[in-house]
Amino acid sequence: MRALLALTVFGGGVASAALTPALRIADVVPDIPLIIVILLALRRGPEFGCVGGFVAGLLQDAASGGLIGVQALTKSVIGFSIGALGGRLTVTQPLVQVPGLVLLTVAEGLARFAILQLFRFPAPFGELLTFVVVPQALYNGFLGAALVLALTWAESFRKTAS
Amino acid sequence: MRNRRLVLLGAAIFVCLVLLTVQSRGHGSRAADGLALVTTPIQTVLAKIHRGAVGVWSTYVDWKSVRAENRLLREEVQRLRVEGLRVNETSEENRRLRELLELRERLPLATLPGEVIAREWGGWVRSLTVNRGRGDQVTRLTAVISPEGLIGRVVDVRPGASIVQVLTDPASTVGGHVVRTRTQGIVEGDARGSMRLKFMARDGAGIEVGDVVVTSGLGGQFPRGIPVGRVRAIDNRGSALFHYAVLTPAVDFSRIDEVLLVTGESSDDVAALFRAKGR
Repeated sequence: MRALLALTVFGGGVASAALTPALRIADVVPDIPLIIVILLALRRGPEFGCVGGFVAGLLQDAASGGLIGVQALTKSVIGFSIGALGGRLTVTQPLVQVPGLVLLTVAEGLARFAILQLFRFPAPFGELLTFVVVPQALYNGFLGAALVLALTWAESFRKTAS
Repeated sequence: MRNRRLVLLGAAIFVCLVLLTVQSRGHGSRAADGLALVTTPIQTVLAKIHRGAVGVWSTYVDWKSVRAENRLLREEVQRLRVEGLRVNETSEENRRLRELLELRERLPLATLPGEVIAREWGGWVRSLTVNRGRGDQVTRLTAVISPEGLIGRVVDVRPGASIVQVLTDPASTVGGHVVRTRTQGIVEGDARGSMRLKFMARDGAGIEVGDVVVTSGLGGQFPRGIPVGRVRAIDNRGSALFHYAVLTPAVDFSRIDEVLLVTGESSDDVAALFRAKGR
């Protein structure tokens, strides 16, 4: 688990650093670490989701220069929650995963906004929701679906090959 | 198991809240500094990996775009070369036609422009085929000229073309004289592709290398004064009554593309109307 966690965090960091600028569409960037945390939490459970979310969020906080701990908090909670719920939900279908990713991204955004409000974050909620949270959530949903499909295809290919 | 998970979550939340609290109380820099000790090396490594990956990728993209650009530029160069050649060709043709037109306007003779459509350049016969024939009222022995001088005469007229015997044809003879000395002679072609001015009396010839020879107008076939050639060498036959001069043609027959067929007659000396090349 530790190796996978380290790999996830490190791979997520690399993917985020390398792909985020390339994947930017009209100033909307996907939250790749969040996608990875959610997808892996679904497979590996709440502990993985919690720790992975915490570390990934912490790194993102440190990298962004904002308040340290905000994303660590939201992502660890999201990772834990989705990891805990994963066993009870039918989450193997992309049609479930995509809306799930969208909703979780929105939830993470709302939670982040709520925490930041405590520190008198100046941006209006409406604008933030319209121009940042929802577009990123949609983007995350489609990107996550593509990732899920790619993983499914890779797994089936591996099984066929073995 | 369940408790362990909750403890883990609680710990994560606790750490986050501590961090946030510390920052909210003005000690944010300490928290950030502490975290930076861990995150900065990771960020550095990530940045290096990212930069390396981006570098490799951008090199590949650059290489691909350079290759594509190179191919496009090659095609462009090729196209421009062809275009340049075409422009040069058109420009040269334009210049020649303009000169021909100017000559046509200057000459006190009726002329008909024609285009060379074929050349016969063997040693036996030296001729040009011009795209003017019987339908254009061209007759046999019509003089054919260019802005540089005399080309020859029409020896055969066909429905849509005429055969022009050029001055270097071994069978060609034209009456001529040296402009400077008025020395009369017969200009005839030879098998080597040059011309000779024959039958110059030894006494009083006095011609020199570089002298210009023009048509004499005698016999009425050619207007008087059309440049024929320039003296290149003088052959001195010792005690012979006549000697001859080797001439360089005024016209480069191998490069001529447009001509004027002289359809009218004139007794005027037209020497001054031709381009004085090195005269």
